[in-house]
Amino acid sequence: MNNALLELKNISYKYKNNLILNKVNLKINSGEKIALLGKSGSGKTTLISVLNGTIKPTEGEVKLFNKSYEELDRKQKRKITTIWQDLRLIEDLSAEQNVNCGLLAENNFYFAFKNLLNISSFKKAHEYMQLCRLHNSIYDKKIRKLSGGQKQRVAIARSLIQGSNILLADEPFNNLDPKLITTIKNLLLDNVDKNNSKKSPKTALVALHRLDLLNNFDKVIGIREGKIFFNIKRNNLKKFHLDKIY
Amino acid sequence: MNKLKLNYTSLSFLPILVCIPLGYQLINNIHLGGFKLFQEFLISAFNPKIDNEIIITVINRLNETILIGFFSWLVSISFGAIFGIISSNIFCKIFNIPNFFSRVIRFFLTIIRSIHEVVWGILLMQIYGINFSIGIIAICIPYIAVNSKVFAEQLETIDYKSFESINQINAPKFSSLLTLIWNPIINTFKNFGIYRLECSIRSTVILGLFGIGGIGTSIFLSFQALNFRELWTYLWSLAILIILSGIIFKKIKFNTTNKILSIFFIAVFFITILFSFSYFLYFIFNNNFENFNSVSSLLKSSSDLGLFDFLKLILETIILSLLSTGIAISLPPLVIGIFNNNSSKIFIKIFAFLLRLIPTPLILLTLLTFNNPSLSLAALTLGLHNAGITSKLLFTNLDNQDKRNYIAMKSLGISKKTSWLLGLFSQQAKSYLAYCTYRSDIIIRETAIVGVIGSVGLGWQLQESLSSFAWQEVTIVLIAYSSIAIVGELINGKIKNSLT
Repeated sequence: MNNALLELKNISYKYKNNLILNKVNLKINSGEKIALLGKSGSGKTTLISVLNGTIKPTEGEVKLFNKSYEELDRKQKRKITTIWQDLRLIEDLSAEQNVNCGLLAENNFYFAFKNLLNISSFKKAHEYMQLCRLHNSIYDKKIRKLSGGQKQRVAIARSLIQGSNILLADEPFNNLDPKLITTIKNLLLDNVDKNNSKKSPKTALVALHRLDLLNNFDKVIGIREGKIFFNIKRNNLKKFHLDKIY
Repeated sequence: MNKLKLNYTSLSFLPILVCIPLGYQLINNIHLGGFKLFQEFLISAFNPKIDNEIIITVINRLNETILIGFFSWLVSISFGAIFGIISSNIFCKIFNIPNFFSRVIRFFLTIIRSIHEVVWGILLMQIYGINFSIGIIAICIPYIAVNSKVFAEQLETIDYKSFESINQINAPKFSSLLTLIWNPIINTFKNFGIYRLECSIRSTVILGLFGIGGIGTSIFLSFQALNFRELWTYLWSLAILIILSGIIFKKIKFNTTNKILSIFFIAVFFITILFSFSYFLYFIFNNNFENFNSVSSLLKSSSDLGLFDFLKLILETIILSLLSTGIAISLPPLVIGIFNNNSSKIFIKIFAFLLRLIPTPLILLTLLTFNNPSLSLAALTLGLHNAGITSKLLFTNLDNQDKRNYIAMKSLGISKKTSWLLGLFSQQAKSYLAYCTYRSDIIIRETAIVGVIGSVGLGWQLQESLSSFAWQEVTIVLIAYSSIAIVGELINGKIKNSLT
């Protein structure tokens, strides 16, 4: 019996004759916290896009919950949340409206309508924004008026509010100061909310550059030129592993 | 010998060369019989008729014009938004519909858009007879298509990554669509909606000249009776309406964060859609097709239009468009550049306003008082009217432009005209030309109006064919019109892309 939540089998992805992913095999089991390391342009973002179904691979098979992406129902798809490197927030909407967008999947059309007219409840959105240390003065500010760090945290709050089990995050600690990095890292990976009302995703694959943040991960994957060079337990990570990918 | 190098500035002036053949023909066609009338027309501008009776008529006619203009605007902007959404790529992406679907809708809308509202009006009047709703429907048909293009273009600016992000959340499709399109739609409405209302009112006036009602009809009747004082009362009242509405619309600011206002607008939008759709069905099923017996009559009727004559008419229409475009592009910078002082500027602005205000058929009829009908006269009319519009844009852009280069050049002892040309206009030339390509699309469509009055091109043939109920000819002329407009739009699109 295959227990993998997410599985990539022989995945290749070509874009304009460039091989971005080259025969990638990967299994992510429930509860695993995995760090994805690699140089810029090594294929980390593409790998995450393949995992969340945004990109269809040129070759190979993607299995989520033992099903292909097309076979998944909406409820199953909602179990995955992504924090994109470029955030992908809607610039013309306010911070709280963007966070509420994370709730679109579990609500009906009327909710989307109320959200745009600012007549929906933002209570839940505000709770998550507070967790991300966003000050209430920016709640109703348009995204384009926020700083890089504020935008980053709005994207994280939008992702967390979805209450998904699986987190795919592409450099989520960008634009954050050291104190905020600790807060956000705990929020994403450690189930630190003592009230227990807001749980962090159980399974996570996080692409990052900072090696000092690896402590919270169980496994480390190294990727270079679209190929996975190593997939090992964090404790086994040695300098020569890093030399291979950087 | 040095090679001639063209830049955007010289390209803005080059089309004025069309005035050479045009002027030659116009001079040859002058007849002195109507000069007195023309003189009377000009003098009456300063002495309009004002009495109780005419004021009541003006109020009633303006009411009709505003009503037709407002309802056509409301319906065309609402349906324009809907068609804009369903013909956008983002709609196809969200609902997993092949892009072919949006292309088909766009093509269909391009055909509808290519035919001027006056043509739709004349066509519908022939089929249904004169009717208040005909005015609204005639304006709505091309306007829905025009508005949908603008909305669709605005929706294309949605960041694809935002779509991917919302899509990945797996929200219901309608929720995703609404969230993504909400702001682009509101912004388009804010920036473009009011302008379209002004266009609707202008179109109502033009349709009025063809008998649809409102102040346009009164203008036309006064002109026919050579009652120029009365005519100017109508024209000045129209000018006051346009100026006042411009001032009011500038003051109105749509605050989309105001919940009650937003809900009100949405309610108006849905009521408009439901009401106009039901009215459309009522209109279709409760009207006698007075002069349009059946579709089969279209197939049975024979056409007397020879191929050679037909090709000649097409050529005339194309030449008419090119000559008018030439005038509309080059005349404003030339006049503004030559008469570059404050008092001349005011005079040019007033003259340009009058050119915009007086509907093209009326300009043409006035010019016909001392010139024989010809292609050149029609081109001059269309060119002057559109020059009034392009000069407004040019003035606005020049007024808002940073003048440091201009001042620096003048301080170097360079003449005022040269400083204006190189320090001011040269920086605007590219965007000005880009706007003129858009204007050129409109000019092609407007050739129909001057054609009907000035006996040139396909417009004239359309009027003839409609008068004799030769439906086959009407169809052929409409197809030809549509094809010219579509090809023109494609060419202009390419030019515009290279300019932006």
